[in-house]
Parts: sequence; C-alpha cells; structure tokens
Amino acid sequence: MVDVTIRIAGANGDGVESSGNMLLKTVARNGLHAYGYRGYQSIIRGGHVWYQVRIGEAKLYSPGNGIDVFVALNQDGIENQKEHFNKNAIIIYDPSKVNVDSIKNQGYTLIGIPLLDTAVKISGDPIMRNVVAIGAILKVIGVNIEAFDEVAKSMFLRKGEAIVSNNVNAARTGYNYEGVETFRPIKGDEKTRFTLDGNTALSMGSYAAGCKLYAGYPMTPASTILQWFAAHEDKGVLAKQTEDELAAINTAIGGSFAGVRSACGTSGGGFSLMVEALGFTAMLEVPLVVFEAQRTGPSTGLPTKTEQADLLFILHASQGEFPRIVVSPRNVEECFYIAAEAFNLADKYQCPVIVMSDLFLSEHIESIDGFDIDSININRGKIAEKNNGERFKRYLYSEDGVSPRAFPGTPGLEHIAASDEHDEYGDLVSDALSGIGKYVEVRKKMHGKRMSKIESMLKNESIFVPKVRDEDSDYFFVCFGSTTDQVIEATEMLKSKGKKFGVISFNYLMPLDKEKTKKMLKGKKLIDVECNFTAQLAQVIMANTGIEIPNRILRYDGEVITSAEIVEKALGMIDKF
Amino acid sequence: MSQVVEKTDSEMKINYGSKTKPIWCPGCGDFGVQASIIKALKDLQIEKSNVVLVSGIGCSSAMPHTFSTYGLHSLHGRILPVATGIKLANNSLTVIGTGGDGDGYGIGSGHFVHACRRNVDITYIVMTNETYGLTTGQAAPTALVGTKTKSTPFGVIEQPINPIALAISAGATYVARGFSGDPVHLSELIKNGIKHKGFALIDTFSPCVTFNHTNTFDWFRRRVYKLEQEGHDSSDISKAFDKSMEDFKSNYEKMPIGLFYKTERPTYEDLDISLKDGPLLNQPLPGKEEIKKAIEENM
Repeated sequence: MVDVTIRIAGANGDGVESSGNMLLKTVARNGLHAYGYRGYQSIIRGGHVWYQVRIGEAKLYSPGNGIDVFVALNQDGIENQKEHFNKNAIIIYDPSKVNVDSIKNQGYTLIGIPLLDTAVKISGDPIMRNVVAIGAILKVIGVNIEAFDEVAKSMFLRKGEAIVSNNVNAARTGYNYEGVETFRPIKGDEKTRFTLDGNTALSMGSYAAGCKLYAGYPMTPASTILQWFAAHEDKGVLAKQTEDELAAINTAIGGSFAGVRSACGTSGGGFSLMVEALGFTAMLEVPLVVFEAQRTGPSTGLPTKTEQADLLFILHASQGEFPRIVVSPRNVEECFYIAAEAFNLADKYQCPVIVMSDLFLSEHIESIDGFDIDSININRGKIAEKNNGERFKRYLYSEDGVSPRAFPGTPGLEHIAASDEHDEYGDLVSDALSGIGKYVEVRKKMHGKRMSKIESMLKNESIFVPKVRDEDSDYFFVCFGSTTDQVIEATEMLKSKGKKFGVISFNYLMPLDKEKTKKMLKGKKLIDVECNFTAQLAQVIMANTGIEIPNRILRYDGEVITSAEIVEKALGMIDKF
Repeated sequence: MSQVVEKTDSEMKINYGSKTKPIWCPGCGDFGVQASIIKALKDLQIEKSNVVLVSGIGCSSAMPHTFSTYGLHSLHGRILPVATGIKLANNSLTVIGTGGDGDGYGIGSGHFVHACRRNVDITYIVMTNETYGLTTGQAAPTALVGTKTKSTPFGVIEQPINPIALAISAGATYVARGFSGDPVHLSELIKNGIKHKGFALIDTFSPCVTFNHTNTFDWFRRRVYKLEQEGHDSSDISKAFDKSMEDFKSNYEKMPIGLFYKTERPTYEDLDISLKDGPLLNQPLPGKEEIKKAIEENM
C-alpha cells in the first residue's frame, strides 16, 4: 500500500490544526484514506505544535512512522522535528522564516516557498500561508487541486465568498509554485469519505441512540463531547455545562431516573470526582453512560498527552461492589457503534456503562466510509407502565437481577429510589432496621439481586470475550483500546518480515467471560502492548485467568505508541519464548 | 409521560403521606417541615405521580420516604444536581429538594450557588439545625461562633454561612425563611415557593432536640419575627439584602422569617432551546434521516 505521512509544524495560533483539517478533508473526499493527529501543549498561543496527516490508498491503522513530507512554518519546527524525518523526506519551508542549514546535504528535497509573502499578497492575512503550503502538498502527492475548492467552499462559505476565493487562490499558488513536483504520487478510488475524531463519533453514536441529556465540565480531552451536544441543542438534545464533575454525573443520573437517556463525560481527574456517584447510580439501578477520555496522569499530569493508565481505576472505582460494564473502543468507527450500544446495555442492565477512550482516540481523525444508521436499534430494557393493583415494587427480586423501572409522572407507580440499602419497594433497611433479623436477609438478597446482573450479562451477551485476529499465528499481541490499531499495523509489518503475529484485543473489559478468555489465551506466545507503566491489562488478565504475560511493550511518555516500535521490540522478544 | 387523569372525589383528597415512619427523634423540627410540605401539596392539589422529592444525606434525607409521591434519596450534598437533572429531563414534574444545612450549605454549597444563578424551577427546602445530627453532633456551617460541639470542643471559630444573603446575591428568584415551630406560616412559604416559576429557597429553622441544646425551639421563638408583619417589600433587592444581614447585625437576637426576596426571571427551562418543544422526555427521538443529516453536517 502506498502511503505518505505529512507533518505541519508551527506555533499555537498559526492555524496548524485547521490546515491539517483542510488537508484531511480534501484527500478523504477524493478517494483517499486519511488519518490525522495533532501534537500540542496546554497553552493558547506560542509553543510548538504540529499536525500529522497520513494519506493512504487503503485503510490506515495509525498516524504513521516518521515524516515523509514536512512543512516548517518556523525554525522551531525544523529543530524539533528533524529527528523524525524519513529517508528522502521532502521539506517545504519559508526561506524568510526558516534556515535549513542544519538539514542540508542529507538527501532531503528542500523546497523553499515564500509562504508568508504569498499569503499576505493574496489575502492580507498571514494565516493563509498554511493554505499555500497545502496547495504545494497536494501537488507533491498528485491530488488534483480542484479537490481543494469544494473543501474551501464547505468550510468558509459562511464567512463570505472573498474568504473562499482567497483560500482557493492561495492553494493554487502553492500548487503551481516552481520546483514543486509530484514526488510522491498516491492514487485514490472513487469514494467520498468523511473525516472525524473519536469524540465526535462517540457524540454521534450517543445521539443516534437517543441520548438527549449530556452533562459535563470542561476537561481535556473530553470537552469536545460536551461541545458537540451544545452545538446540537436545536436538535432536541440538552447539553448542561455544570459547576463541576460532581454535578455533571448527578445531573445525568437525575435525567436518567426521569426517563431520558443521559450521559456524562470527563477525563481521569473529573472521573475521580464522579466516583461516589458511580456506585450511587448502581445502587439506584439507574442506567448511566459515562465517557472517560484518559490522559497522562497522575494528577494534572500531561493534559494534552495520551495514556491508558486509568484502566484499573475505572474497573474498581467507588466503594462497595456493584455490576458495571467497561468498554474500550479501538478506533473512530468503533466509537460510534460502541457509544450507541452502551445506552442499550445501560438500560438493559440498569447499571453504569463506562466507555473508555484516551486522548489519542478522542482527538485523532480518521476517514470513514460512513455509518450504518440502520444498524442502530434502541432497547430501553424493562419499563413498567401500569399499576397491577398493589404498591409498586421498583426493586422486585427477579431471576436476571433486573426489575422493571418506572418514570416519574407515571400514575400508580410512585416509589422511592435510595442510595441506602433498601427492600423491593425502595424502603430503607439501613438506619433503624439494619442488623435486625429479616432485614439482614433483605440486604443479602438485594445485594445478590444486583450482583446477579453480572451473570445475566455473561449469559445474554456474546461481547465479553476478547477478539482474535489471525488465529493461526505463532505469536499474539494482547492489547485494548486505541493501541489495537497500531498493533494490527505492526502485525502486517511483521508479516513482511516473515513473522506470523496475531492480535487478541480486549474491547469489553468488564465483565469478562473468564473461561472463554482463558481458553483463548492459554498456551499461546503472548506479548502485552499497553500505554502505561504497570501493564494494567496484563494484571487484569492475570486476575481473571491466572495467565501471566511477562513479555510487555509499554509506553508511558505521553506519546502515541507506534507500529514501528512495536515491531522492533517484538522482534527482540521472540527469542525469549 | 405526564398524563391527564380524571379526578374522582376521593382522588381530590390526595394522600401524599406514606406509611414509612421517619427516623427522627420525638420532637424533631423535621416533623413540622413534613407537615408543612404535605399541607402545601394538598392546597395545590398536585397529582402525586407528578411530584418528585429529592433528599441528600442526614436526618432530613428521610423526608421523601415519608411521602407516597416519587422520591429520590441521593448522596450527601447532591440534591440540587440530581433535582436539576430530573427537572431538565421532564420539566412537567414538580421537583422539590428537601435537605439539611450540612448537606446544602456545607458539602453541597458549590451546587447551591449555581442552582441559584441557574434558576431551574425547583423548590429547595433546607432544614437548618446548626448541627450534624445523624453523625451525632458535629458543627454545621450554620453554627454560631463559639458553639461547642463534638468537633469543636473549644467553640466554633468560623463565621456561620448566611444562606439568605448568599442566595440573593447568587441570583435566586424566591428567597424565604421559615420556622418549623410555625408550620402554617412555613407551609404558605413552601406553597408559594412551589408556585413560583424559578429556583425557590426556603431555609427553615428546624431544631435538633438531641444534639443542639443552644438553638432550641424556645431559642428561635424568642428571636423570630415575620417580615410581612413589618411590611417588608420583598421585591426590593436592597431591602432584602438589608434584612438578610439582620441576624448578624443584631448579634442573632432578631431573626426575620418570611419572604425576603422574590422576582420574576425566565427559568433555565424557558431559555434552553432544547426544551422549546416541551419536556425532553416527551420529545420524539430523532428519525434515521435526521440522524444522517446531523452526522453528515459534522463531517
């Protein structure tokens, strides 16, 4: 497969991200596959930011390894990024801003274009220099410049015709600039693809599933879910920015109790504040979907960097014991379907469902062919609508642990839902009655009822086992969440080196079908790949199956794990088996 | 979900109470508050299935259990976010928060301020007893300076919170204070609070007869007087502020009860565009075409 990895680097405020977006859209709408990821810091102006766009002729599984085409908007760009340049990289730079002495005579193709001058001449706006660079990139990869016109129109028409024509002219000037040639031709098919990030896919999946209330408090990298809902308030969804994450989760619980599919979302720090309410919603047996977009911890950590270190925390958060479902989508497309399914699972089992992503998955962009909306079905679980002549038993003991719930406003089904231990009616057995004979039994039975939902989940659903790719391989990588696609790419690279690697990836992490998981892993040569220090997935596997995976590839510097490093490290481990 | 139900004569006499006995000590102020809420609901004849009482943690949290309406007994300090979620999901419901002063002005004070400025149509009744009763008598944020409790054996050294002034400054549109020892008066305040469109605070002196031997029923009886008897203009925010400081200025010798402040302002539900077509719960889910459109617009 032919693919090109492009990186644009500059300072915050240079429009690096929006130019990356323009490029992604242009190529995705014109038959190519695209993958985008940005590196940035938690400051609004200045700093060093970059945007990486990988373009391929087939589906892409990662942002790519190294840089094939580089655009330097300032000197820092060159100095910070030159270590990543691939052999024969093409460097586009602005001679008025950037000195390329440090990378001369190393086999790179250096193309100086007066980006800033051109931008100012065309539009008077220095930010347009990015667009000049995009034009040049399109020429380098051989994408027709007309493809850009439509994207400029769709992005800027609301700002006026003049802005659109400035963009078009700037791109053409870059495209036609002397010395810019189609060094890296890449050919797409006839398809028009969409580009979006993980958080947008999570939001859309929630919307498609009928989630009407979303509560959140801004925290990177989860804030864009809140923003998506806020932008769609005119479409019958209510977005509530609350005073803190305590309020966010409790507002969502209130909304769900009242009968509306509700969710909240945050990153690890905010999730820490939500923890008490997680057990609360489980005790009330009120369905709830929580999005947790991990970032580098502990504490404030690296707010704009990625990690998968909240796994054990999410699996065990909150006091006491209660059923929960934890799921970790692996790529942007899966974010959509898993978010939608999370609401069904929450309703069916009346428990919290935590959808884990991470900064990388929440923010990186992939091109997709589209979503199959027709495959989204809504299952609200057991809902009581009529009184049967007796006082309503909200927490009726039932074989599968799930009791019909009733929404306030329904006559005859009035009841109380309580955070204290309670009987079938919801009446407390906690204060005056605790420890007294038959109420000891009530506690035992009610706790058992709630916990029996785990059995029901495992019995009714086939999702609580890992997925295997290339079953007849010699070695297997074990991974979860956003790391999975990088791992898949690594297995393809290893194949070309004659090594047969498969992938066992964990989508649903709680509950786990222990027996099936054990059967799947037993006797295989396994390498664990995760983005954390303590190999948390390996710990989960050990606890559930007794299988230890001593061979581990771990990354915890905040950067995205790459297929190249997985390949290199895996090759070094083969001898150990 | 709210349904029109034809009322028979017997249903007109709605029984809002339940058979559950509260955990309160004999003589607890919360009994008077309970009676006042029931009277207010009876006066207003609100369909019982449309009422949701939300409590937090503490002695006051027993309140919804003594009702046969819908109820949610939540976590310590989280009454207001839970109540807000319920109201935003279905604003045809009558949502009443019933909590204590530790719950609302201590652990939940952050939510309190924001509920005031948000002006969601919730009635919030706070049973103030200056102590943490259920944990057997520590200082509440309303305890007066010098009060000796189990957690302040040398006396409280922090200023008591002033919920009335706080609510007015934060933007609450109905700010009142009642006294459990005068349930008829309190019930009027609650009734008008429920009728009021917007966030209504009814701070209520509800003495703890077991752990607070300072702020007793008699102590309050000697100090409280009714604002309406003094001709207080509750539409004047400056005068309301002035009255809210009277406890402090009089060194807690004169403590007004009644309506401090009332104003009309659109509620959060009035202003949030997602609710323009009625309660969220009743709005139809987006159709496949609508979903497709929303998705394609974003990509």
